[in-house]
Amino acid sequence: MPVILLERIPLPSLQTYTSVSVLVLSVALYYAYHTVTTVDINSIHELDFGDGVTVEPVADDEVLNEHHDMVNISLPYDSVGWNMFHILTSEVWCVWILVNSAYCCLILLGKAIQKLVFGELRVSEEQHLRDKFWNFLFYKFIFIFGVMNVQTLEEVVSWVAWFTILGFFTLLTQLSKDRFEYLSFSPIAARGVHVKLLCLLFVILLCSFALLFLSGYVGLQAGPTIFAFLAAECLLLGIRALYVVVRYVIHLWDMTVSSVWENKSMYIYYTELTFELSALAVDFAHHLHMLLWGNIFLSMASLVICMQLRYLFYEFKRRINRHKNYRRVVQNMEARFPMATKEELQIHNDNCAVCWERMDSARKLPCGHFFHNSCLTSWLEQDTSCPTCRTSLSEGQQVDPNSNVPDERGAAPPQPPQQQPQNMFTNHFFHFDGSRYVSWFPSFSVEVTHTQLLPGGRQRPIQTSQLDSMARQVQSVFPHIPTNVILEDLRNTRSVDFTIENILEGRVQVPPPGLTTMAVLTDSEEGSDDSDSPSTPSQPSPRALQLARSGEGEERVGTSEEAGGVSSIMDYNVPFLMETVPQPSDEAHFTTGSRFSKSTTERESMLQSRKEQMLQNARKKYLNRQTNSSKEAASQIDDTRVTSETNAADQVQLRHRNESTFQETQR
Amino acid sequence: MAGSALKRLMAEYKQLTLNPPEGIIAGPLDEENFFEWEAYIMGPEGTCFEGGVFPSRLTFPPDYPLSPPKMKFTCDLFHPNIYPDGRVCISILHAPGDDPMGYETSAERWSPVQSVEKILLSVVSMLAEPNDESAANVDAAKTWRDNREKFMEIAHRTVKQSLGL
Ligand SMILES: [Zn+2]
Ligand SMILES: [Zn+2]
Repeated sequence: MPVILLERIPLPSLQTYTSVSVLVLSVALYYAYHTVTTVDINSIHELDFGDGVTVEPVADDEVLNEHHDMVNISLPYDSVGWNMFHILTSEVWCVWILVNSAYCCLILLGKAIQKLVFGELRVSEEQHLRDKFWNFLFYKFIFIFGVMNVQTLEEVVSWVAWFTILGFFTLLTQLSKDRFEYLSFSPIAARGVHVKLLCLLFVILLCSFALLFLSGYVGLQAGPTIFAFLAAECLLLGIRALYVVVRYVIHLWDMTVSSVWENKSMYIYYTELTFELSALAVDFAHHLHMLLWGNIFLSMASLVICMQLRYLFYEFKRRINRHKNYRRVVQNMEARFPMATKEELQIHNDNCAVCWERMDSARKLPCGHFFHNSCLTSWLEQDTSCPTCRTSLSEGQQVDPNSNVPDERGAAPPQPPQQQPQNMFTNHFFHFDGSRYVSWFPSFSVEVTHTQLLPGGRQRPIQTSQLDSMARQVQSVFPHIPTNVILEDLRNTRSVDFTIENILEGRVQVPPPGLTTMAVLTDSEEGSDDSDSPSTPSQPSPRALQLARSGEGEERVGTSEEAGGVSSIMDYNVPFLMETVPQPSDEAHFTTGSRFSKSTTERESMLQSRKEQMLQNARKKYLNRQTNSSKEAASQIDDTRVTSETNAADQVQLRHRNESTFQETQR
Repeated sequence: MAGSALKRLMAEYKQLTLNPPEGIIAGPLDEENFFEWEAYIMGPEGTCFEGGVFPSRLTFPPDYPLSPPKMKFTCDLFHPNIYPDGRVCISILHAPGDDPMGYETSAERWSPVQSVEKILLSVVSMLAEPNDESAANVDAAKTWRDNREKFMEIAHRTVKQSLGL
């Protein structure tokens, strides 16, 4: 409350301000009207001030004096309206009232535009707007009184009017820019919003051209200096507005066209460069002109302008340096990293690891990784290593650009760790060896391959022969464990020793044939007593499906590829569940994959419900653990529970399957 | 440009929804702004944070994935690698250029092939195994090193708090 009050005290509310302005204006109008009519009626001599006194006792003296003047000057026009205008503009207090009314109109107009186009302003937008406003006010104040050094009231008024209009558009441009940047963060902005914003920007653009013409017209009378001052401001406004428009259009185009536009980023880069540099150049020239013309080398104003000049100069230099860096990167890249051939792309058959989109053309790095030309450029601008394997790409290590063999590098830093063969097929590889940290922690590797590009039925790109021999080694130690289980574990640990350790410590569950699925699901439901309540329907999960299959021991791998539409596969799914089987894990079903809805609201509500489910399950589990630790004598109850849960699990299992098939048919 | 970042975030969100890692839920706070995510991380089992559900906020830069997102826990978490205000300090979240702790190799730092999922998995492993050498919360690091029991006690309290119990 006090904060709100504090914020409100300095400025009256818009309503009060408007009504006061309207009142004052009507008083002035009445005064003008009254004067005109009385002068008309009484021609030269007798004036009756009776009415004037009752309405405006304050202005009495003035009215008297003015009327004497007026009588002497006489009214220049025939029509009442023009005469009123003449009176209003010829008296100081009337001029101020008019100015005030103009401001009031402008504020109302701004408010209307804001309501129409922007709606509620966000906090950061408001903050920006306020900063920009005070900044603008400060610099223009300096300009009017420091540089132009205006003396007469007329000059002040006309400058203030000019800057008010300019400032109005500048603020609107700033607001549009902020709003555009915000909208570009959102995939769901409605079309109407874009249309409105673009229309506003076009209007601003048109107005800046109109102002430019106006400044030309004024310049014809006031000389080239004034013209330069006025035109520079218009140009800046126009450049800024146009910049936002161009970026906006590119963004919209980019969002609607799904294919990768190869040279897009280059065009965007050069548009940005042009706009930024031209805006800086115009601004710089404008300020320099002020400094030189104003003859104000030893004043506060000159200091401020010098600071501004310095800032602009450094900005300019920074931008140029960035561009030099960009040029160097591009040239270096074009010289050293050849474009991948069609065959290479086909063999590689993967998405770009930077943008996760398909590669129809790509550059090949010496280390054997492929990226989009544009993605690579933007990354190399800030770092000189391969994004995937971190091999240094700095210019010291020159490679023959024609060589496609990665191993020919002489003084190359250590080779990327043993992933070279897999990189033929996969781009993203992440191995998490949990047991290295804590013994119970699951090991898993994340291998992001891309299903839609893999020919159907192909096995995961792990050297099968090597795995098989490892599996045989393990099996010689544990003959009773099925090969597929060992293979699954090996695929994660990639080490005979780790797998043996896992088996020894019971982290690898040996499935009794045909029962695995049930056992796992039973376990997974154990934590929550009311898991079969219909209020928490679990989403159909690819994992459950996979689990069921792997339990039957038929399809060992590749099932997750059927989770089509999934652009990537986590191959830790099965082993992880198997490893956690010994412990009751009820998060098994609520974190499993769900559908990715096309509708925003559905997605949001699904995320929300998954979150709540996670929290609830965690709570239940926590409370269970509390009670379990306090009293261990719950074992006999467990017996009875297991049977009922087996039934429940059966149903759950059935539901999973139904939903999975449903999902598959949907695709 | 935010366009490519948006596409990439969309793809990541899709992947995290269809195939979420165990004990991790993440998604945009509000799809009006796809650059502000929340993530729920389950305390890894067998550690002192077991059973807790810790909410966090991820803020992505407009040039994501070229620059890393920022991550901040929105609950109290007493941990050597989490600043008292909740910011997470792990090497994967540091841009290749900056090195606040002074001894990370660039191999551990951010690169565009990293993803939200990898960040969150790293955070899970960080919860499991605090690294008291590059401490963000000196108090926590000290407690973790010298007074493990007290650390556990605080952690258990945090878990209980995070569940709203
Ligand atoms: Zn790319
Ligand atoms: Zn590489």
